[in-house]
Amino acid sequence: MNEQKKGGFFSIGLVKGILGYVVGMVVGLALVTVLRMILGLPATTPWDPQAKTFFFVEGAWVAGALLGTIFFILSVGVASDWFKWMRGVETPSHPQDAFEHGAKRYLSASFDHKVIGVQYGFTSLVVFMLAGFFALIFRTELAAPGMQYLNLDQYNTMFTLHGIVMIVAILLGVGAISNYLVPLMIGANDMAFPRLNAFAFWINVPAAVTLLSSILLGGLETGWTGYPPLSQTSPSLGMSMFFWGVYFAGMSSILGSLNVITTTIRMRAKGMGYFRMPILVWTALATAMIGLTATQLIGLSFQMVSFERLFGMTFFHLEGNPILFQHLFWFYSHPAVYVFVLVGLGTISELLPVFARKPLFGYKWVALSAFGIALVGFLVWAHHMFTSGMESYLRVPFMYSTLLVAVPTGIKFFSWVGTLWGGKLSFETPSLFVLGAISIFLLGGLSGPPNGTVSTDLHLQDTYWIVGHFHATMFGGFVFPFFAALYYWFPKVSGRMYNEKLGKLHFFLMLPAFYVQSLGQMQVGLLGMRRRIADYDPALAPDIQLTQLLITIAAFVIGLSVLIAVVNFVVSAARGKVAVANPWRSRSPEFMLPSPIPVHNYGDHPFEVIGEPYDYGLAGSAYVSIDPERAPKREEPPAVSATAPAATD
Amino acid sequence: MLCKNPPIINDFYKCMTEQLSRRVLIASSHPLFGQGLHRLLQERRQAGVEVVGMVATVDEALAALDQLHPDLIIVDYDDQALNRDEFLARFVEGESKLRVVLLSLHSPQEAIVYDRRTLAASQIDNWLEEWTYLDETQKPLIKQGDEIPKVENRRRSVMKKYIHIVVAAVLVVIVAAGLIFWLENGGTAALLPEAASAQAEPIDQLFGLEFKVIAFLFALIVVMMVYSMVVFRRKKGDLTDAEHIEGNTKLEITWTAIPLAAVLFFAFLGGQSLAETLRADPQPEIVNVIGQKWQWSFEYPVDSVAVDKIASPVMYMPVDKQSILYLSSRDIIHSFWVPEFRVKQDALPGGENMVRTLRVTPTKEGTYYLRCAELCGQNHTNMIAEVRVVSQSEFDAWLTGEVAKLSDPVAIGQNVYENNCKACHTIDGSKGVGPSWLGLYGREETLTDGTTVVVDEAYIIESIINTNAKIVAGYPAGVMPQNYGEVLTEEQINGVIEYIRTLVP
Repeated sequence: MNEQKKGGFFSIGLVKGILGYVVGMVVGLALVTVLRMILGLPATTPWDPQAKTFFFVEGAWVAGALLGTIFFILSVGVASDWFKWMRGVETPSHPQDAFEHGAKRYLSASFDHKVIGVQYGFTSLVVFMLAGFFALIFRTELAAPGMQYLNLDQYNTMFTLHGIVMIVAILLGVGAISNYLVPLMIGANDMAFPRLNAFAFWINVPAAVTLLSSILLGGLETGWTGYPPLSQTSPSLGMSMFFWGVYFAGMSSILGSLNVITTTIRMRAKGMGYFRMPILVWTALATAMIGLTATQLIGLSFQMVSFERLFGMTFFHLEGNPILFQHLFWFYSHPAVYVFVLVGLGTISELLPVFARKPLFGYKWVALSAFGIALVGFLVWAHHMFTSGMESYLRVPFMYSTLLVAVPTGIKFFSWVGTLWGGKLSFETPSLFVLGAISIFLLGGLSGPPNGTVSTDLHLQDTYWIVGHFHATMFGGFVFPFFAALYYWFPKVSGRMYNEKLGKLHFFLMLPAFYVQSLGQMQVGLLGMRRRIADYDPALAPDIQLTQLLITIAAFVIGLSVLIAVVNFVVSAARGKVAVANPWRSRSPEFMLPSPIPVHNYGDHPFEVIGEPYDYGLAGSAYVSIDPERAPKREEPPAVSATAPAATD
Repeated sequence: MLCKNPPIINDFYKCMTEQLSRRVLIASSHPLFGQGLHRLLQERRQAGVEVVGMVATVDEALAALDQLHPDLIIVDYDDQALNRDEFLARFVEGESKLRVVLLSLHSPQEAIVYDRRTLAASQIDNWLEEWTYLDETQKPLIKQGDEIPKVENRRRSVMKKYIHIVVAAVLVVIVAAGLIFWLENGGTAALLPEAASAQAEPIDQLFGLEFKVIAFLFALIVVMMVYSMVVFRRKKGDLTDAEHIEGNTKLEITWTAIPLAAVLFFAFLGGQSLAETLRADPQPEIVNVIGQKWQWSFEYPVDSVAVDKIASPVMYMPVDKQSILYLSSRDIIHSFWVPEFRVKQDALPGGENMVRTLRVTPTKEGTYYLRCAELCGQNHTNMIAEVRVVSQSEFDAWLTGEVAKLSDPVAIGQNVYENNCKACHTIDGSKGVGPSWLGLYGREETLTDGTTVVVDEAYIIESIINTNAKIVAGYPAGVMPQNYGEVLTEEQINGVIEYIRTLVP
């Protein structure tokens, strides 16, 4: 299965994987159907999308999705080395060399963390656009009062998918940043577990396919939160596809996090003490700790509802308790918010010093605040449940813990301003996105305390205010920093520069549009518009009609700006100006390598930390040395080169 | 140790002169290394180097640190007895800003300066000459060789620094004051819907305060950011870096402590206003609020011989009297929310244990809308009920009238319909989530399994009690609540049948 030769269309990993998924789906459907026939149970149902029955029973479709996922992983080839090891077969210890080069390698399994990082990033962008497209569909419906062209079922399906697919896109984006950058920044030549890394990426593809198949299997009506008993009683088969799609995306999160943690702890180069790591590595580590320890809970809770549907278990209804689900769900899904934003905030902290030509203000405080946020983030989940009917007294301690998040977050803001103050700022595209990110995350952060305070949240819970709030945190904490990162590291990845004019156009379209959208959402929410409704509350229509129209227009402007960015990336990757090694005069080690970065990163260069990461303005200082001249010759080989190959190309 | 930010400029120079002589500690167990280096450095005395001691182990070095206060430690790189890594860990990665030089005698090329600078090996000699000046605040002063160089410049730059801060602070105050002025004069009121309950009062007060704090913080960060972007921005062609400022621990502690105090204060206020909204009045009006897909029903207990409660699809509340709402659901989670009342509470399925309460004291007569705030599936959007806040006398009159109505079976059936069935079954023949009731009685329906059935009393009763037994083709199973057999009395089910009989096209 280890394809080394150049082959045709069917040698592409993605194609093999999809074929595997289809085969697995057929096997799963057949297996359950035959089993039910043998047991004398009704094996099939009529094909009637109206009544939400799709020939095979729900259990058969779930078995199909599970086997499809497994077959996908087997066919794409990321598990084959493991099977070889079980049989006692040796595999190359540096398998990066065994894979194809050129653009095609991105479509097949590779164990190189940079290729996997790009795969994550590319998939993230595709999925991000898809989720944005869903948003545009239902935003168009909301532009005017009354139902125009969607029915209620379609509307519910669209906003549910917008939410969950966006979350998958963000998780993939976080994976892209951590995978590509963490090894480079700590002076490692790959992640600790390259095969697991590839597995963690590729499982996302069948997960996304399963998740999206819910559109065809009756749609969704629960929102991304999937609260039972609604999700348990929902007549739609798509519900199960939703649960299992998220389940496997969560598995990717757990395994990816494990890898990032191990890599950061074990593979730091000589001199790379924790307080000398780039701040992005700190945030990636904090993110991974959340991902590793919390994700199980959403997997578990969704699995339990799926079992309720398939086997009639009663965890959350009858003798069960629907509030239990909400606790389990938010025990992951609140910390997950910090999974989404921490790496983005790290990107802000990472890029600000470069563009301000000034050290990061209070490095240690910023580094530890990431851990502070991650830690407090575990103690606040029930603030999503202030009106849920959980024990009333619990609302007060959770209010205290929730508001405490403001403290480490405040440290970040003040430190950013401290970095900017007196900094010689320049305004290239990544710099603009970083500044935009700060202002938007500020909006998101400041709109948080009213939700975190129980009494005001009694009004705000489940309104568009919340929608505005979390879109501001997601755009400020992830989307803007992610684009900043894409522009900033684009030359490092592709070896070419993006188009600066298009980059700026993207920014100056997206920033004001986002402000209109988010402030508009907060306004209509305060006035009393609920979340997740297909039409305005009729009584409100005169007050909010104009705002609703503006939000829809803003959404389309954002969509347009993202398209511009994608065109920019695609065209520049092929025809952009050839990039120099260090276009930003950054001190970060990855900029000491040529663009694009060679397969084995630092190879056998002696990587050694000789200074602080952000000492801009300190003449003659450097962060890292990879100069063989400087390395003391009788020094034992640095830790990294133990993993480097004896000879690179 | 360093002459950073002294309070008075004159002290700064005093401090500088004192520190011109730098103190060096040599760490080596090899006597020749130390003695040779000692002699070399003594020759450079004019540059202000003084060897204050020699140590052979890390522990000795630690002791010497306290007693001798060296500025620089030179470590014998070749000495196996000395653990270089430990030196680095203690003196470079630790808090103190000591400089450590590692010197090796194996080859003249090998010396590494662990002070955050990269120097080519050939520069080491120069570095030894100059390292005393390398602190950026001191370097230009010493380089001049002038006793009091550029005092004016320095004073000016310090002045300039403060002027920037003052100007930015004034701008922050102006912007924040403008926003707060707007909030005070109608802004807050425009952002929130009309307040029509006693519970809304403490909540709106807190909103008002929160909005002001948000306005201030937004002004603070954004003004400082924009000021930096505009005033300090990189001039064209300027490739130099900005001033090397690593941070300021006092500032960090300040902006940790103040927000900490502020959030604790806000949490305290939040707790107080929550308590206000929960305050119980004696003898409130009791209302059972029952949610189901996708409609609301309100039950009022009555003292009557015929019935113990009446049900209404419209919520009536007497003004200025607290109503206690007992919220429950027949199927999935719904949520009670009238924006004008501010407070919100989910209605949970699961029987008596899951009943939740909410206290609302309406303060203004009028019609409001109860909107289900918890996503409840397909028709969530339209799960809206009317709430009429009326005077006590009107309320009493309405209640008596409702009780009087409940003798005619058709009226009972219609009441059941409006409180339970109308979200899914129309009475005008149009298709809903379930089949329409218009002309239902006596109609022949095709079921999902292909068989047909004529709608009669038995079929209607079966469909109410055992909802999924016979589903009409084209409609999904499992949507209708399963517990009507327990919820509805025999009299009510008969009423429903009588009511359906009257619905002929």
